[in-house]
Amino acid sequence: MDRIVLVAARELRAERRQPDGVVAAVTFIAVLVLLESLVVGPQIARDADVASALFWLALAFATILATMRSFDRELEDDALEGLVALPGGRDALFGGKVLSLAIVLVLVATIGGVLSLVLLDLPVGLPAHLLIVVLLGVLALPPIVVVDVVLALRLRARAALVPILALPVLVPQLVAATRGTSAALTGDAVGALSWAGLLFAFAVVYTVIGLTIVPAAIE
Amino acid sequence: MIETTLPRGNVLPRIRPWLGIAAAASFVVASVMALFWAPTDAVQGDVYRILYVHVPLAWLAYLAFVIVFLASVGWLWTKRPFFDAVAVASAEIGVLFTGLFLVAGSIWAKPTWGVWWIMFVMYVGYLLLRGLSTDFSRRATRAAVFGIIAVIDVPIVHLSVLWANSLHQLPTVLRAAGSPALDSSMLLTLMISLFAYTLIYAYFMSARVSLELARQGRLWTQT
Repeated sequence: MDRIVLVAARELRAERRQPDGVVAAVTFIAVLVLLESLVVGPQIARDADVASALFWLALAFATILATMRSFDRELEDDALEGLVALPGGRDALFGGKVLSLAIVLVLVATIGGVLSLVLLDLPVGLPAHLLIVVLLGVLALPPIVVVDVVLALRLRARAALVPILALPVLVPQLVAATRGTSAALTGDAVGALSWAGLLFAFAVVYTVIGLTIVPAAIE
Repeated sequence: MIETTLPRGNVLPRIRPWLGIAAAASFVVASVMALFWAPTDAVQGDVYRILYVHVPLAWLAYLAFVIVFLASVGWLWTKRPFFDAVAVASAEIGVLFTGLFLVAGSIWAKPTWGVWWIMFVMYVGYLLLRGLSTDFSRRATRAAVFGIIAVIDVPIVHLSVLWANSLHQLPTVLRAAGSPALDSSMLLTLMISLFAYTLIYAYFMSARVSLELARQGRLWTQT
């Protein structure tokens, strides 16, 4: 656990010094929110289901973007080999990346969420429930994306392959996060908490699976 | 280093012709029963008969991807190339059957059953990942890890039938409450169809696994 925290702290320090991953992810979400209201019109864009779906799709792509940037940084600095060679380095690499990405995504989701609420003028029925859903949704995304980026590491056409691998597997998470967010926006407390519970289960299951089998995939 | 020995006394070529005959015969029996013996449905009429193709294809899609999962675990555990051959064979056949299932589903009910498309795309991604990796061992390991992750979505796909707002009809045979809501002759026809399609899957698997083992053999000879 200590090693996971160390790798996550190292990752967050690198992100603070060179925050291109966060900046790219936030800009991506902001552009998508602006485009959404222009393309579908303000009435449809303000629909709770549409706004939630777009927010989570944007966040899924932002997760892929931030994860790929994070691994690119390791490859550019030839840091991956050293990290993997340490005792327990593979587990720590996966756990640390997932943890640091979750923290980065909380920041990205907060900025992106506030932008969505303000720009689309969305009414929020249950703010506390919305926070719970977004927090658990953010925890459910990184394990899968980190696994897929690791699998596609050093492969040609990696930029295209990662979304192809990750997005279909992320569908249950995206459905749960979208439904939960929509329920929180429209004031359905039971619905929001049910979907939040499912998101928590996804986060735990995929993190455990990742920690079990990903070390085998890191070369 | 990986172990490069293939399983001794490979029986696949010997059983394949018999498997083919059994698959063809049971397919003919199942088709005759589905088309002529099973009664017409009181609500849907004759169009429901596509059920005898649709449900076995869905079963095979699940079966194929569970085999990918088991073979992937086998590869990661033992590093025997045989398991990788089984995984790739089952993934390819699974993609084929999922594609056919989607076509049959679209004929039966117009709405697109999105979750099955997702499963289809997921295993196309699996094959793409294999295709882009050149080194045998790395390719097998990468594919095995993705095969394990992806199969976790299979029960979620099945449960999605029960989740809210699904376009798919509720289960008819494996229901939570009591016995199947299906006439006994319809149920028998369905069971025989399932058996026939499973034999077809087994036949395809024996052929594809043999091809993959031969390909691996050539690879070891070259290196």
